[in-house]
Amino acid sequence: MKFKLPILFALFALSISGKTAPQYSVVNIPPPPTKYKNFQIDGLTFLPNGKLVVCLPSGEIFFRDLTKKSWALFAEGLHNPLGVIAISNSELIVAQRPELTRVRDIDGDGHADDFEVITDNFGMSGNYHEFNFTPVRDEDGNYFFALGTGSRGDGVRTITRGQFNQRGRPGRMHSSAPYRGCIMKLTSAGKTIPWSYGHRTPNGLGFDLKGNLFVTDNQGDWVGSSKLFHVQQDNFYGHAASLAWKPGFENSPLQTPVEKLAKMRTRACVVFPHGTMANSPTKVLAITPQANFGPFTGQLLVGEMNRPRIMRIMLEKVGGELQGACVPFIDGSPLGHGCNRMDWAADGSLFVGQTKHTWAGGEGIQQVSWNGKIPFEIQNMELLEKGFKFTFTKPINRELAQNKENWPFSSYFYEYREAYGSPRSDETKVDISSIKISRDSKIVEVELAELKAWHIHEVKIMNLTSQEGDDLTNNYIVYTLNRLLQNTPPEPLQIKTANSSKKS
Amino acid sequence: MNDLSSHCKAKALIVNNTHIMYFNTKSFTGTLLFLFCFQVHSESKDEIVQRGKELYNGAGSCVACHMEDGKGQKGNIPPLAGSDWLKGGSARSIAISLRGLTGPIKVNGKKYYAAMPPQLLFNDEKLAYILSYVNNAWGNNEGLITKEQVAKARKELPQDVFTPQSLLKRFPFDKKYSKKNGTFTPTFDDTLTEITKPVVYRTFMPGASPAAFAVALPGNHYYCWDAGECRLRYAWTTGGFIKSNQAHWSSNGKPVAEFNGTPYYRAHSSMLGNESFEELSKTNMQKPIYDTSQASDFPIVIDSIREAPSYLGYRLMNGFPIFRYSLGKHTITELIQMNTEKNGIQRTFTLSPPVKLIFKLTPSKSSSIASDCGKITTNGTLSLSKSESSEFSIFISPKEETN
Repeated sequence: MKFKLPILFALFALSISGKTAPQYSVVNIPPPPTKYKNFQIDGLTFLPNGKLVVCLPSGEIFFRDLTKKSWALFAEGLHNPLGVIAISNSELIVAQRPELTRVRDIDGDGHADDFEVITDNFGMSGNYHEFNFTPVRDEDGNYFFALGTGSRGDGVRTITRGQFNQRGRPGRMHSSAPYRGCIMKLTSAGKTIPWSYGHRTPNGLGFDLKGNLFVTDNQGDWVGSSKLFHVQQDNFYGHAASLAWKPGFENSPLQTPVEKLAKMRTRACVVFPHGTMANSPTKVLAITPQANFGPFTGQLLVGEMNRPRIMRIMLEKVGGELQGACVPFIDGSPLGHGCNRMDWAADGSLFVGQTKHTWAGGEGIQQVSWNGKIPFEIQNMELLEKGFKFTFTKPINRELAQNKENWPFSSYFYEYREAYGSPRSDETKVDISSIKISRDSKIVEVELAELKAWHIHEVKIMNLTSQEGDDLTNNYIVYTLNRLLQNTPPEPLQIKTANSSKKS
Repeated sequence: MNDLSSHCKAKALIVNNTHIMYFNTKSFTGTLLFLFCFQVHSESKDEIVQRGKELYNGAGSCVACHMEDGKGQKGNIPPLAGSDWLKGGSARSIAISLRGLTGPIKVNGKKYYAAMPPQLLFNDEKLAYILSYVNNAWGNNEGLITKEQVAKARKELPQDVFTPQSLLKRFPFDKKYSKKNGTFTPTFDDTLTEITKPVVYRTFMPGASPAAFAVALPGNHYYCWDAGECRLRYAWTTGGFIKSNQAHWSSNGKPVAEFNGTPYYRAHSSMLGNESFEELSKTNMQKPIYDTSQASDFPIVIDSIREAPSYLGYRLMNGFPIFRYSLGKHTITELIQMNTEKNGIQRTFTLSPPVKLIFKLTPSKSSSIASDCGKITTNGTLSLSKSESSEFSIFISPKEETN
């Protein structure tokens, strides 16, 4: 049995490997002329004048004139910058390990000459895994940034910054320096506060078009599978270590009963199943009206490090909270591995920066463009009282869609536990009761024999073509069903029990 | 067969040939070399080695860098004792001595960065004695070298300084002796040998908080400035700038920078004892020696201000960072450049608004400290009046080695 499992898994993974609709093209952008022969891209955005901005692990920041196709060095010497916001053509906000820094060219010679701290009011144990991820700014001028926890892959340094907190030190991923594992807010008034707790490796913040803030997290201890969270003030999102910094939480996080932690946590609005959807999600980017990227405005894109994949996220408010589905979107070669940072160019195309930092991933910059023609994709997946409503971008073949066997649904959940990752629990095949197709053949309502709250529901739609005969490009879609439209049962703990521990 | 170049051609052949061929040729040349040595030297081996030892250990001679025990200096000067570069190849040591060797080199699997100048002061005979000693000291067991060998090499070798690559091309290793091949691809840091403009890195530095700067100044003085405590930690000049930055960048960020020199100035911190830089480079601690919230001995002391300084940023002036930080209501800037004599650093401070202050410096045997106003006591305290504090400079330079 031991040997068969990985093979089965490999076959499954292979069968999931997706593709990119032919309406999207991916081209490589020549790398910047870094002296350090390392082309990982850790930050990427655009200046108001349309120039591309990239940050490299070497601490260099380059601008690219997309018309002249030329690179220029803007700044150097930064410490592992993992995100950048352009304020003006000569001013950036950069998240580097020790700070959020305002990087400015004051004398107008094209090179940055002033590096002003906008906040360093957080700690560093010096553990390599304590990354400072992606700053974002809201419309009111508040900044948010995400502090990674330290890893058991190493300890802490001899001199650490900020008050050392022994309560956060134990554990696979630790938080002994202030606010590691928190999303931080730097208010427009200049105050730095922990905004939310319970994050492990939150490598990617982003807003939707309504101003909701989201962050991804990577599978690991306390994170059964990678996730997307709707970030709200003072919430706890599950990774225990950062509770050491939560006001009023006096216990040692790891000595707190898991039942208590489970009751405190806020669920993810999207779970990315490990191995099939994403192992290491990154940046969250809304598809804006300015984006020229197909009929998906308002949805979110999320990058994935471990395979060549950018996912598309569709959310809806159910029972007052956001939840929804994810689907691979730009998927497989020629897209590279390690898609870490993304932003929209002035022409509405998507630029992607790739990185790895010794993990699975890649390096380089790619541009993804849409040719203006409609791809055949799932446009939306929404919850119904007894099933799901699928909206397609093109009329579907009614006969194929009507076949229940083409809708192999299953439901399961990931346990909440300290151990690394989680098996799929309570995995069940879900029967289809009925299928209704709209008159225009673009909407399919699939009624399930049972909808289980607090369970992930996934389907790999089989054999479906459009009426023109195109195969559905991406047919694997996963809906994180927390709440039902009516009569949602109380949230179960879904913690690791003695039985489930034997199973794994 | 005592012809150096034909000997070397035979060596070159060996590398490309089979093992059987290799052993045959090797024992053949080895025997010839052995016979040859005893024919030419009129002195006994012991006498030759003793004469070489005296020259090796002479004032300002080989010993100054390679050390009496032949172990060299970590990261800078490669060892001669047990060196894989000496094995089976007298031609290499003659060539290095005559023409010099520049570029980072790997010896016995470890990296060294200092260049070896050509040894122009020794004639053929003296060099033969020295190299014979090196070949037979500290457990080395190689052949003796004759002045004729040296003379011939002096005449025939190209005039250029060797690099490890060019030397190995001419005199390749026996595979038997070196698995690591003696060279490595230099990182960007390795190429920073002559600093012509300031280099500013933010990276992990030993003996500083994780929010540290490493700065190289034109003239090859280097310093570590700690943004976590708003202070200069140490300055050094020998052994080159930090070496491991590329590994820090391209990896997950774990490596702490290394440098090969010993700081001539190291600011005292009451939170630290006599930990070595190696000790302070540790990343696997259960808990830190201290955290910056505990630091209480900021070097600038202003009456009535108890709070810690707060780092504000830096501005580049001709590439030199001018650090700025606040202490209470005062804003302080610090610019570190080479002094006018180019033999040490000049730290220029401004303080706004000005105020009477005490600056605590750390005197030691390895550096001289001076200031352009006020007087520095023997325990390193500089007292400045309000007017003096608005702009002042402190000069720190390494003391000349007395012996």
